[in-house]
Amino acid sequence: MQIVNHSIPGKKSEKEITFSFNDKFLKAREGQTVAAALMANGIKKFGISRKLQQPRGLFCANGRCCSCFLTVNGLNHVLGCITLVEEGMKVSSNDADPDVRRKANGD
Amino acid sequence: METDLLIIGGGPAGLHAAYVAASNGIKTIVVDESFSLGGQLRQQTQRLTNLPKQFDSQIGITLMQTLVERLTDLDVTILSKHTMIGTYKDGRIGVSNGQRTIPISAEKVIVTTGAAEEAFVFPGWTLPGVMTIGAAQIVMNREHVIPGKNAIIIGSNDFALEVGKQLIENGVSLQGVIENEDQLIGCKEETIQFLKEAGVPIYQNSYVTQASGAGEVEKVIINHNGSEKEMEIDLVCIGKGLTPILEPFEILSCDFAYEKDLGGWLPQYSTLMETSTASIYVAGNAAGITNLGAILLTAEIAAISVAESLGRQCKEEATEKRELLWQELYHLESADSKAKFHGRIKLMREFQDNVDIQLSKLFNMSVGGV
Repeated sequence: MQIVNHSIPGKKSEKEITFSFNDKFLKAREGQTVAAALMANGIKKFGISRKLQQPRGLFCANGRCCSCFLTVNGLNHVLGCITLVEEGMKVSSNDADPDVRRKANGD
Repeated sequence: METDLLIIGGGPAGLHAAYVAASNGIKTIVVDESFSLGGQLRQQTQRLTNLPKQFDSQIGITLMQTLVERLTDLDVTILSKHTMIGTYKDGRIGVSNGQRTIPISAEKVIVTTGAAEEAFVFPGWTLPGVMTIGAAQIVMNREHVIPGKNAIIIGSNDFALEVGKQLIENGVSLQGVIENEDQLIGCKEETIQFLKEAGVPIYQNSYVTQASGAGEVEKVIINHNGSEKEMEIDLVCIGKGLTPILEPFEILSCDFAYEKDLGGWLPQYSTLMETSTASIYVAGNAAGITNLGAILLTAEIAAISVAESLGRQCKEEATEKRELLWQELYHLESADSKAKFHGRIKLMREFQDNVDIQLSKLFNMSVGGV
């Protein structure tokens, strides 16, 4: 949910833009990060972790923990929390990881 | 690129150091990995009361605007969305924007990487909807998005409680503060009173045994005084505290020390804020977790030391300024925690072989409680 009429300074631009997540079109506000834009649309689960196959989403919001990895315009492993959303941006879950599930990893 | 001074990190410490250095005619580059400057000031909506006397009491967002705007007319180059990734054999520092790496040749470096949040871990802690308390504040105050409807906060330091208050003010239902100890860690009465009046249950002697849900957190089980309680929760905020970010110091071969009261491991430094590696300085939370006043003052001390070593300030003038700044730092930091300042003095005394007069005076002052 977007906050409207937020009373604090540094108000977000009201300009609405369109981007897509897993081929679904969504709205965002200019100047928002991809991670926040997804959360504003009620999406918390960004993808599945590569080894344990568990859901992952925003965790540190500071570009350190890598929990928010997304594929953005074809580029894998993009940190959704420090990447600004853009008009027409194609975002998808980071499902293009190499298959790391193998015996050596105990899988 | 070539420069007199390279600053790693464009948060409050980096921005203030850049201003002081560039005001002394020092050509400065600031590298920051985010898309905008200000670091963690960008989402601080609470009033900051412990600022150095040159700043009026204000909220973090306006302070950030001031710190950024006053660099406009100075010889400061900002490289946003750039990250320090290593050093070259000849000492140049490599910063990358993900596509290309720029070598930067700098006479002096101030590392102001700040701090990272630590996490409590429990079964389900990696589920979407579980995040650090700082992340919840960023989503809410900087991104203007509500991070959840029904929240709990694990941990009860002052920052966690403050963000709890902000969550409530933005319409989130805060269903509990979960504290492992038998009392709250935070001590700001005003915030605690706000939470009490808002009817937020405080669970002491408690911890989360499990968070669960289909694809995101929906349910949390807490252990409160030995008995289990189930709650319907879609936002779990972890507020354990901060620890200095150290990677650049490791790359630059700096020596480290452990000071619990300053957030754990941190680079050793002198009263000049210079690390064990010559020409590499440290300031801000990377030099020990502290309040914003001390963050800004360490930055100023580092910048003045750089100005002195580059011949832009004479020794007497620089020494006198540093002494005043250290005194102000002592007063500002001790107001929050005497232990922090003692930790700093201990760290510097162990590092500096010949303890200079300036440091001894400070040490006596902090022990004597002047």
